[in-house]
Amino acid sequence: MTAPAETAAPTTGPVAHTPRQRRSMKTPRSVLIADKAADWVIRIGGVGVIVAVFGIMLFLAQVVVPLFTGAHVQSAFTSTQPIGTEPLFMSVVDEYKTVEVSVDNTGKMHANHIRTGAAIDIAPFDLGGKMPTAFARTPTGRELAFGFADGTLQMATLKVGGTVIDTKDVPADLRRLNEADATDGSAVYTVVSSDQTRRVSIAHEIAEPQQVAPEGTAIVAVDYRVGGSAERPTISFVTVDANGIGRLSRSESKTNMLTGKTTTSLTSSELPGLPEGVKVRTVLMTDKADEVYIVDIGGTFYRYDARDFDAPVLAETVRLVADGVQVGSVGFLIGEQSLVVGGSDGSVNVYFRLQREGAKTTDGYQLVRAHALESQPSGIVAMDVSQRGKMFVTSDSAGNVWLRHSTSEQVLLKLPPGQSVAYRTLTLAPRENGVFATGTDGKIHGWDVSAPHPESTLGTLFGKVWYEGYPEAGFTWQSSGADAFEPKLSLVPLIFGTIKATFYSLLFAIPIALGAAIYTSEFVHYKVRSVVKPTMELMASLPSVVLGFIAALILAPIVETWLAAIFFAFVMIPTGLFLSAYLWQLLPSPIALRYGGLPKFILIFAALILFGYLSYVAAPVFENLFFGGDLKAWANGERGSSAPFTAMLVFPFVFLGIFVSSDAIVTQRFGFVLRGSNRTSAGLADFLRWIATIVVAAFASYALGLVLISIGLDPRGGVVDTYVQRNTLVVGFAMGFAVIPIIYTISEDALNTVPEHLRAASLGCGATQWQTAMRVILPTAMSGVFSAVMIGMGRAVGETMIVVMAAGNTPLLDWNIFNGLRALSANIAVELPEAVRDSTLYRMLFLAALTLFVITFVVNTVAEAVRQRFRKRTAQL
Amino acid sequence: MNMQAPPPVTYDKTIYHLKRGSAGPALDIENLDLYYGPAQALYGVSMVIEKGLVTALIGPSGCGKSTLLRCINRMNDLVDNLRIDGSIKLHGENIYAKSADVIALRKRMGMVFQKPNPFPMSIFENVVYPLRVDGVRDKAVLEETCERALKSSALWNEVKDRLDQSALGMSGGQQQRLCIARAIAADPEVLLMDEPCSALDPIATAKIEELIDELAGQYTIVIVTHNMQQAARVSDNTAFMYLGRLIEYGDTEVIFQTPRSPRTQDYVTGRFG
Ligand SMILES: Nc1ncnc2c1ncn2[C@@H]1O[C@H](COP(=O)(O)OP(=O)(O)OP(=O)(O)O)[C@@H](O)[C@H]1O
Ligand SMILES: [Mg+2]
Repeated sequence: MTAPAETAAPTTGPVAHTPRQRRSMKTPRSVLIADKAADWVIRIGGVGVIVAVFGIMLFLAQVVVPLFTGAHVQSAFTSTQPIGTEPLFMSVVDEYKTVEVSVDNTGKMHANHIRTGAAIDIAPFDLGGKMPTAFARTPTGRELAFGFADGTLQMATLKVGGTVIDTKDVPADLRRLNEADATDGSAVYTVVSSDQTRRVSIAHEIAEPQQVAPEGTAIVAVDYRVGGSAERPTISFVTVDANGIGRLSRSESKTNMLTGKTTTSLTSSELPGLPEGVKVRTVLMTDKADEVYIVDIGGTFYRYDARDFDAPVLAETVRLVADGVQVGSVGFLIGEQSLVVGGSDGSVNVYFRLQREGAKTTDGYQLVRAHALESQPSGIVAMDVSQRGKMFVTSDSAGNVWLRHSTSEQVLLKLPPGQSVAYRTLTLAPRENGVFATGTDGKIHGWDVSAPHPESTLGTLFGKVWYEGYPEAGFTWQSSGADAFEPKLSLVPLIFGTIKATFYSLLFAIPIALGAAIYTSEFVHYKVRSVVKPTMELMASLPSVVLGFIAALILAPIVETWLAAIFFAFVMIPTGLFLSAYLWQLLPSPIALRYGGLPKFILIFAALILFGYLSYVAAPVFENLFFGGDLKAWANGERGSSAPFTAMLVFPFVFLGIFVSSDAIVTQRFGFVLRGSNRTSAGLADFLRWIATIVVAAFASYALGLVLISIGLDPRGGVVDTYVQRNTLVVGFAMGFAVIPIIYTISEDALNTVPEHLRAASLGCGATQWQTAMRVILPTAMSGVFSAVMIGMGRAVGETMIVVMAAGNTPLLDWNIFNGLRALSANIAVELPEAVRDSTLYRMLFLAALTLFVITFVVNTVAEAVRQRFRKRTAQL
Repeated sequence: MNMQAPPPVTYDKTIYHLKRGSAGPALDIENLDLYYGPAQALYGVSMVIEKGLVTALIGPSGCGKSTLLRCINRMNDLVDNLRIDGSIKLHGENIYAKSADVIALRKRMGMVFQKPNPFPMSIFENVVYPLRVDGVRDKAVLEETCERALKSSALWNEVKDRLDQSALGMSGGQQQRLCIARAIAADPEVLLMDEPCSALDPIATAKIEELIDELAGQYTIVIVTHNMQQAARVSDNTAFMYLGRLIEYGDTEVIFQTPRSPRTQDYVTGRFG
């Protein structure tokens, strides 16, 4: 404004505006260059970020992909020199795929260089000139047994192994076999580096014959295992003789320290219940000699419980192949719990013993078909199992050789039949990197294969998998254990753990953070706000490892001790604050107004402390009332009824329902009282109405609780169950601490940026501050508040240290808030140090990382989409 | 405006020549002093606002018109470090008494702001917001109120088919009429308007003036305006304010034709301001 001329107001009069210089119409070059430069820097930066994100994703994917690629053949070969065509009992291959040793059905040993077929010298076993009538080998192929027509048995050992020696110790006159290998006749030498050479040699030994069956009765089938100690070996074996008599025997050798003489004692017991004239195909015995399987030609399995060695019991008789089908080949997988049964129809199934309710067996166990694998085109004739994992190889009568994995049920490789129709033996290389078949054409057919991750398929990582010894298929994560242990790598429990931790911590964090944000942005003086907000932000700067540490070592024991009090506080404090707010309303206006500032603030704190203390004091009463006197025992389902707790859970909803539905009637009938001009009496009326609603709601929710339990919706066994010290509740608290400040600051900012004129408009309409906050400010700031929650959620999803330290790291699949969990991020942190580079576990951890990445990506994308929707509504503000 | 150094001139007492309404006074402002922190914005303002009449507040920018208007429904409560001396009585009750219920007071007054400020909700929800705040849930009542308010604010025909669309999609003039509809939806006793037409084109302005004409009698209206013709056209009484003081208050005709204060004379004839 300009001041009127006649007043002496000290304002300056209008001054003529005469620009000193006309603005130049040309934009200076420097401005243009700066503009372009900024444009490019921003553009390159933006594209760079996108490229980096996708680069990380691609890198993760590239590490993960081999998990799903199965196996491939690196090279295939056929030996050139003939190796004979006699039927073979078995063959074994050394670790380095250099030499194959086989035993033919006359008991003669053959050793050949695999790649050429060249014969290697090997001394024959001394079988006393007899022809074996039965043969057995342990799964490793290191122990052999021969049974004879006279009822005797001879045990042997065989070792094909490599040692690394100095090149200068290698004998001079070696005969070259191929470009890599040379032989001195009895061993094969391979140069591995300039001064080191590998020597693969064969060592074998055979023991004295032992009379097992009556003299003159041929042994037709045998299996055995060696136990005991090196000084006092115990050999357990099972034999079936030509009369169809099965025997369980144990021979113990004792070496007399003084004389040095070894005495061997043999004890036998007969296996009961074998049918007369049974034609036995195979006998099998487990590692600990506590289970014996006798398989007849027709496909019937006789399972003996041999835990009591002197009195074995026929526990189960069962056919494991279809009617009319014979057993083509049968063997144990590593660990000797699972049986692979290959049928003459080409079927391949894996069975193991499980304790089953109502099993019609003497020991309560039952053979269960856990895995049905893809059938081969013709009958299975041979198989070999890995001694490292659950991989095995089967061949059929048409010469197809399939490499399989039991747990993942996948066929890793299908090797097509060669010229020779059938194979005499089939061998899987000890390192699972080769398959060798001795053909009826007198040649060795070999495939160098690579199957680094046979156990992983999409199905095993994300679907249910039936692991050996588990009662049913399920989601399991267990990456390490004792030997013969199979890693169980399902991501589902980890994803679930992440979701569970996120859910419970947000359940705790969102109400508090949003409540605080609304409170400080709408209800307190900006001076209070300028103290509270930085304090909350300071909370966010607490390193999560500190939070985790505090949670695990301090919070967890406190929560455990004061569990009931804490639960009660969740009910008490909000109720208490509501109550206080109501009582405050009843105060006459002058008092209410006079003490509306700081005193009210202090009173709120006092109420908080008072009700916190009350919940501590009244916790035992609460525990008696709701949890049968002991919350933890109650959660176990040991005592008390679920009804009061269920009622408590449904109470808020019932209350709200009753409140809303009764509102219309109440305001119609009693509106005049409620709107009465006298503040105190109106407040009192309203207060009575609240009390009435609460009482009605309490009864209604108790009834609803009973109904819910009767239809099976019992919270016990679901959201509450057995209590462990490091649990989700503790994680929720600790993570809440990490997440609350984030949600709080971002949403507070969002609420604060709502234009002041909307606040004024709402207040001008006679709305209270609370109504303004809930009806105008919050909906307007929704996009910001929503992002705040989503960013908090992102933090919770990725949070590592708190879950590592406070969650107990148990990869479980239940919603029980009193139980632990293992999140994806925590799992990576915990297991990465143990993971060997490029192992399955290593790649699995990368997959976990990729999954985390994808979850975050999806969450953020959904969040952004939703946010945009909210934002559209308020775009024109 | 320079508030730090009070103007050296002494002011005469306010000149009154009030036109009386048939229903007596609605608001009685007595000796109102208002301070924004150390700065005084209103100096001893005393005026009686007649029930059912339209009262215009005019004066140069920064003279305290909005401040005075905001005192009437206590919107100034939101301002920090604000101090008020004196009293405002609504039908004889001091609204600044300790026992006064601010929320109830605001419910008796509707306010239209200088800038249209619809909520980011549907048109319907905007109009019925005061009823929602009162807890009215009866659909029929809400719909009937919405229609009546929109008709009164001459908006009904334009928006009746898009009541569920966002109010933010309307033109500025429509938004302002919507805010008027919202202000009158809950049947207030007093309607306070702070330059309601400042953002509007002549046609919309004309509509709002018509509306004020229609509402006059039914409501007590206080309107702040910079537009002399508008003040002259719509109001019964006009108050001229200058530097936080009420200079002259009375019959609009007198103010615009034969003002008794030279300052009023200068202002209404466009010699300053
Ligand atoms: N919230 C506030 N805090 C401090 N001073 C204020 C505040 N609001 C207004 N003022 C001051 O009070 C004086 C009167 O302001 P007011 O908004 O009432 O003027 P007005 O007459 O409405 O002007 P206009 O016609 O430009 O709207 C001005 O000097 C202004 O700077
Ligand atoms: Mg103004």
